[in-house]
Amino acid sequence: MHALGEQIKAQIPYQRRNAASLALLVFAMVLTLAAFAEVGLARDGSIPAGLFGYGGGLVVLALIAYVAQLRFAPFADPLLLPLAVALNGLGLAMIYRLDLDTSHDRKVAELAGKKVIKDAADAPGQLMWTFVGIALFVAAIAIMRDTSKPDAKLSFTPKTAQRYTYLIGLGAIILLMLPIVPGIGAEINGARVWINVGGFSVQPGEFAKLMLVAFFAGYLVNKRQAMSLIGKKIGPISLPRARDLGPVMVIWLLCLGVLFMQKDLGTALLYFGLFVSMLYIATQRVSWVVIGVGLLALAVFVVTLLPFMAHVNQRIDIWQNPRPYFDGGCLMSNGKVVPVNPNTDIYKQAKVTLLAKAQQQEAAGQKALAAQTRMVGAGWWACTKMGGEYSDSAQLMKGMFALGQGGVLGTGLGQGKPWQTPLSFSDFIFDSMGEELGLTGLMTLLLMYALIVQRGMKTAVAARDPFLKLFAGGVSFVLALQVFVIVGGVTKLIPLTGLTTPFLSQGGSSLMANWILIAILVRMSHDARKPAPQAIQDEGMTQIVSLR
Amino acid sequence: MNMDKPVRRVAVFALLLFFGLMAQVNYVQGSEADKLRNDTNNTRSFSDVFNNPRGKITAGGEVLAWSTPTGKDNPKYGRNYKDGKIFAPVTGYFNGGGSKVELSYNRLLAGTDKRITHQRWFDQFIGKKPEGGNVDLSIDPAAQRIAYEQLVNGTSRRSGAAVVDIKTGAIKVLASNATFDPNEVAPQKGEAGGKRLEQLDKATSVIKPLVDNGMSQVFPPGSSFKTVTAAVGMEELNLDENSQVQSGQLTLPESGQPLPNSHDGGSCAGTASLKGAFAESCNTTFGKMALDLGIDKLNAGAAKFGFGQNVAVEPLMKAAKSEVPVSVADLATGKTIMTGKDATARSGIGQENVRATPLQMAMVAEAVANGGKIMRPYVVQRATAKDQSEVYKASPQVFSQAMKPDTASQLRDMMRAVVSEGTAKNLSGDNIAGKTGTAEQGAGIPNARWFVGFGPIEHPRYAFAVVSEGDGDGAHGAGPIAAAIMRAVMKK
Repeated sequence: MHALGEQIKAQIPYQRRNAASLALLVFAMVLTLAAFAEVGLARDGSIPAGLFGYGGGLVVLALIAYVAQLRFAPFADPLLLPLAVALNGLGLAMIYRLDLDTSHDRKVAELAGKKVIKDAADAPGQLMWTFVGIALFVAAIAIMRDTSKPDAKLSFTPKTAQRYTYLIGLGAIILLMLPIVPGIGAEINGARVWINVGGFSVQPGEFAKLMLVAFFAGYLVNKRQAMSLIGKKIGPISLPRARDLGPVMVIWLLCLGVLFMQKDLGTALLYFGLFVSMLYIATQRVSWVVIGVGLLALAVFVVTLLPFMAHVNQRIDIWQNPRPYFDGGCLMSNGKVVPVNPNTDIYKQAKVTLLAKAQQQEAAGQKALAAQTRMVGAGWWACTKMGGEYSDSAQLMKGMFALGQGGVLGTGLGQGKPWQTPLSFSDFIFDSMGEELGLTGLMTLLLMYALIVQRGMKTAVAARDPFLKLFAGGVSFVLALQVFVIVGGVTKLIPLTGLTTPFLSQGGSSLMANWILIAILVRMSHDARKPAPQAIQDEGMTQIVSLR
Repeated sequence: MNMDKPVRRVAVFALLLFFGLMAQVNYVQGSEADKLRNDTNNTRSFSDVFNNPRGKITAGGEVLAWSTPTGKDNPKYGRNYKDGKIFAPVTGYFNGGGSKVELSYNRLLAGTDKRITHQRWFDQFIGKKPEGGNVDLSIDPAAQRIAYEQLVNGTSRRSGAAVVDIKTGAIKVLASNATFDPNEVAPQKGEAGGKRLEQLDKATSVIKPLVDNGMSQVFPPGSSFKTVTAAVGMEELNLDENSQVQSGQLTLPESGQPLPNSHDGGSCAGTASLKGAFAESCNTTFGKMALDLGIDKLNAGAAKFGFGQNVAVEPLMKAAKSEVPVSVADLATGKTIMTGKDATARSGIGQENVRATPLQMAMVAEAVANGGKIMRPYVVQRATAKDQSEVYKASPQVFSQAMKPDTASQLRDMMRAVVSEGTAKNLSGDNIAGKTGTAEQGAGIPNARWFVGFGPIEHPRYAFAVVSEGDGDGAHGAGPIAAAIMRAVMKK
């Protein structure tokens, strides 16, 4: 049987690539440290204290992650960890740059006893979440052992998820629904995707995303034979049986629910796109893709016709034609946009009317009511009076201005004005990067994402187990789709929706979920790439096979 | 069943998604970047402008506007103007935003213009700050000073003047007696400057400091408009300067009222040569000529001189629209009122709804002096980068051929006759020729007094127009001002 062993070995030419991984990791660290140094030099005129605190912190964390990878997954794909560290590091540097609390001027002012308003960008928080994220990565690859030993005590592998497919699916749906539950759900910046847990705001959707991938993979592995083989053939497209169509409809309804409850086209697109792509991988049937895309298009079309879903319509309108919405625009029922920005007479008039109303209420002793009236935005108020839908494209346009300012080479870290865009540290961090790093920087970032996705896809191809194949393909694709939806949104390629930019955006949930995603890919790539079990003895009737 | 094939396909699809993003980022940051930077809603270009010194604005070797460090953080640089009130109609102001040349050449002055940055691409690459370019004007500072002084002394209301070089279109004088000092609103004045600008902007009286009377304000041109009527009439009705024309009574066809002349003797007694009627400014002759032409032809003829459009002097520096309207909108009712026969006759003598800026009337005189040809007016002669290399040079362009060279030559004679034997005999020693105008602006409002013409009288080099509001006629209200300005201009 010697020949067989050789044959398997010849098919899998993978080796340990730890040296390459380390070299790339060092490069990622140099990149991050240089970014911090540049921020400090440009903004405060000196090497920042943050270089040691933040940059140094990240270096130590990355090295720990590397050692863990070396110990628990030595055959892992060498690119995944360095790419994640580089993205995380650059994001951290940008948030540090946007967090004016870390600037020299601020610290001097604070020491002088001046009152300073806390900046919304939170570099220390992000460093902490990076720490938690990398700790989760280490824990995940330590706990998730080789898939070849699924029954060992206390072992949890990506494959374990297959056994709890429906439980995980239920969990994902519960997580998705949590923000809607009154009491624990919280609305931040107009999006109801948060829950409050012990003083922290968590975005359960980020974790639900991974669980959904596991659920889809488990479900499809079971059903894929039936779904791909049985069905009526009508012309070139073979239609599936109604009973196989059922679960697809369930997911479709779920996405519609998201669309209605959260009025969020992007998230719906993310989940549905993920499902359709996994369906395609599992069944290889284009008909599923056609049915899926057709259903979604139908849903979106219907939604744009519904009057109470004007919000979605407006998102699309703003995307096509943002200028009249700048600082406030009013979409009338006849499809026309009336600007109600502070320079317009409508706004000024509304402002005067509202002020008079507030004063009247004050005179009548209704203090609380008057305070409320004072808070009302004049543009919104005037628009509602006219019977239109109020919306504001200032954020999107300011993001675009940031990109324009950056041009090809960018202003250089610390030398632009990315903070002019609201949420420049979270939803719009990609535009902030574009302003300071330029087109060159953005292309690099996109290439880094594309590399992670392609390495994940490669892992899927290399994986031997169908469930793991689907799982790896799914998590890779969901990452690609998420980057597409948010980056496409902030660059005006598609209508804007609020998703996090993986590894760059400020926010703990997103960082943790994405580090777990990387851990899953690292674990699976190790399993896929490590040499096959080899016969240690090629004589006699009994074979002893090493499972190590 | 192997899943590798679909995984590969999905991988390719994922790559396509990234490719789409890359294409979009390239599109936005590559080809759209400039548009985004110049977007009117983009505040970045304004907030950055105080951090670097701006270039100088010079004219005739004098520095009119320059930047100095303030020693403070914001703004880092202030802006100073020499004789601000005199040159404001040309330089404009700068306070982040701006007007006139400061606005039109903002990016060049700030050093962010492509013509400069392309030269300095390496400096830009290594992150050096932009260096502002300098802008040199065609204005003659000495003449501009005299113009301002004369305009202010001539009236207590509004007055304005424009002088252009007829061969190039270069503006030599653009003066206004409604003006402001741009030093008062410069960046170093901080909030006070902003408030002052708002105050200037909200001026409710007839004198609006931010609206200069040289090119941004229109007045009824009165008899000076007869130059245009004559030019159109001579060509359309086959007349020449010696044609005998009716100059006595004219009854307006609709109302039956007479169109009055300023005097009934001399050429305006019954019939006269066109030249004589022009020299003595007989209303009836030109009222009839307008009636013969009809408002459409008068409107179309005037359009060749630049009426009916905002004549662009520089990219963002456009003159107010001079007009010979075929119809006007009634603001009260929102209805359109067509210009009738009576109104057409009155339009022919520069009354009714005919309006013109001094710059426009100077262009009319330019056509007369220059064989019918009007050159595109400009005020920026050249622009240089900080290393003195030239990045822009004005190239004289033909604006229009407003009339035939022959017509222009006859009109030159007619304008000379105005000074030698007509309404402006008081200017006969001043080496200029022209046409007077005294427009009524309604009850209780002083006349708009005009003198529009060219000099020197024999081989003209410059065309001018002066308007001054006040009592009396154009020959005495505007003529001496024009003479004084032209003396200074023609010295060179």
